[in-house]
Amino acid sequence: MQLNKKYRNPFGEIYEISRFRLYIGNIRPAYTDKETKLKKSSSYQLVDFSDSTTTYMELPATTGTCNGVEFELGVDSADQNHGAQSGQLDPSKGMFWTWNSGYQSFRIEGYSPFSNQPAHIIAYHIGGYRYPFSTVWKIKMNTTNDEVFKITNDYKIIVEVPVELDYFFDGPTPLHIKDISSCTTPGEMSRKISENFIGSFTGLVLTSAP
Amino acid sequence: MKFFRTIILIGIFGFIWINTPFPFQIPKNFPPPVYSFQKNPLTKRGFELGRKLFYDGRLSKDGNFPCSSCHQQFAAFATYEHRLSHGFNNQFSFRNAPGLFNLAWERELNWDGGVNHIEVQPLAPLLDPHEMAEDLNQIIGKLKKDKLYPILFNQVFGSPEINSQRVLKALTQFTASLISANAKYDQVKNGTARYNQYEQKGYEIFQMKCARCHTEPLFTDFSYRNTGLSLDTTINDYGRMRITGKKEDSLKFRVPSLRNIFLTNPYGHDGRFSTISEVLEHYNNGIIPGPTLDSSLRNGIPISDNDRFYLISFLGTLTDSGFIKNPLYSDPETGIQNYAPVDRH
Repeated sequence: MQLNKKYRNPFGEIYEISRFRLYIGNIRPAYTDKETKLKKSSSYQLVDFSDSTTTYMELPATTGTCNGVEFELGVDSADQNHGAQSGQLDPSKGMFWTWNSGYQSFRIEGYSPFSNQPAHIIAYHIGGYRYPFSTVWKIKMNTTNDEVFKITNDYKIIVEVPVELDYFFDGPTPLHIKDISSCTTPGEMSRKISENFIGSFTGLVLTSAP
Repeated sequence: MKFFRTIILIGIFGFIWINTPFPFQIPKNFPPPVYSFQKNPLTKRGFELGRKLFYDGRLSKDGNFPCSSCHQQFAAFATYEHRLSHGFNNQFSFRNAPGLFNLAWERELNWDGGVNHIEVQPLAPLLDPHEMAEDLNQIIGKLKKDKLYPILFNQVFGSPEINSQRVLKALTQFTASLISANAKYDQVKNGTARYNQYEQKGYEIFQMKCARCHTEPLFTDFSYRNTGLSLDTTINDYGRMRITGKKEDSLKFRVPSLRNIFLTNPYGHDGRFSTISEVLEHYNNGIIPGPTLDSSLRNGIPISDNDRFYLISFLGTLTDSGFIKNPLYSDPETGIQNYAPVDRH
């Protein structure tokens, strides 16, 4: 997916994305030969596709074989109500809802002639962390063709976050732009749209660096 | 020589004053607070920085709307005699500005409880296009350009960096310190004052008819309830449902504290009642039935004219005049402003 480029979704609707941000939480390698022990770390990265320095990340890895990564999409409910935060969770990054406190999981903004909104805007500001409308998901992303990746020393794994929006539109809840051009509040709709996003992470490429 | 000695003396006293321990004093009759400054250690300098920010118009887009424009000390930090408050570009806020006091006891803030932590509360008015209408990065840019702020942030946080977290934590040092717990009611409780016969009678009626929701000593149980107010279709405010998305929360609003009630008129989430009398008459004979109406209000609350007189007498004992005249909480530039007359209706 590239910004400001015209695409056609599986329903034949043309769209382009102008800004795209999402929170990746607690990302770690998924080993095939051992359990990934997750320490409660509360580490987040705001991926912003208009800033290439944010779309890849380095993970510390230990000897073993891995075939992907595990992470959370969005900000865990345990990290949503700790008051004023800095760094990746600084509210000045524009991902925090002020009137209904909470970090959005992702924000997709763009245009489509099929939009029913002013100026043909499409806007999916998807968030909410409270049961039953949580938009935070645990995700396992496999490498392309389930390629196994051997780590022989204590290398770092470099992950590029790939996203393919065809799956986003044609997910468990088909998202026709002409019907749902915008969703900017937490709730049932946000939850459903967030579920569509799970399948959008495909084509993972891992490389290693000492 | 004398001049230098004076300067040194002022310096020493200034240093001692600024580093005076600044304890957060929990009133004796209050429960433990929700917010206790654990990750935001309260200091005199931090409090003073928060106070300066609270009164600084530069936090708003056009410079005209400091926090204090809607939260006025003489009105117990509500907006005096305004149903809705004025904001950027001749607009109104969509709810009545609540008084600010005893906020450290609130787990959730706002009429609908939408804000989940006191430190992030200022973001709502700062960024709301109808209120202060500013952008966080703009605010930080303005503060960085100021001569004094980087010095003050350095004193409080140990480096001159200004970011949103520091601005919010400093503001919280001020707002969470606003404690109102020395009304006549409190003095009666701790034995230093006595109710007159009307107040006493009013207190008894209050305990019988109001205290279930307006629980002592904070005079709210922090719940959300539909009190039978009709929907104003020019605002379409469904209250708590806006936050939870649940239809059973439709038209529910936070039970407001009754402390300083003589100072915080008008009343209700949209300020529709200008007097306490009107509010009492609503409970007596104005409840609109509906599926989410609070179960205790199905038959209203019978309040006779006599009850009303006594209740209002009692509610007057909740005015904390020391709080609204406390120079610590006033505009650091101008000190205590000329305050508006206490309004009894």
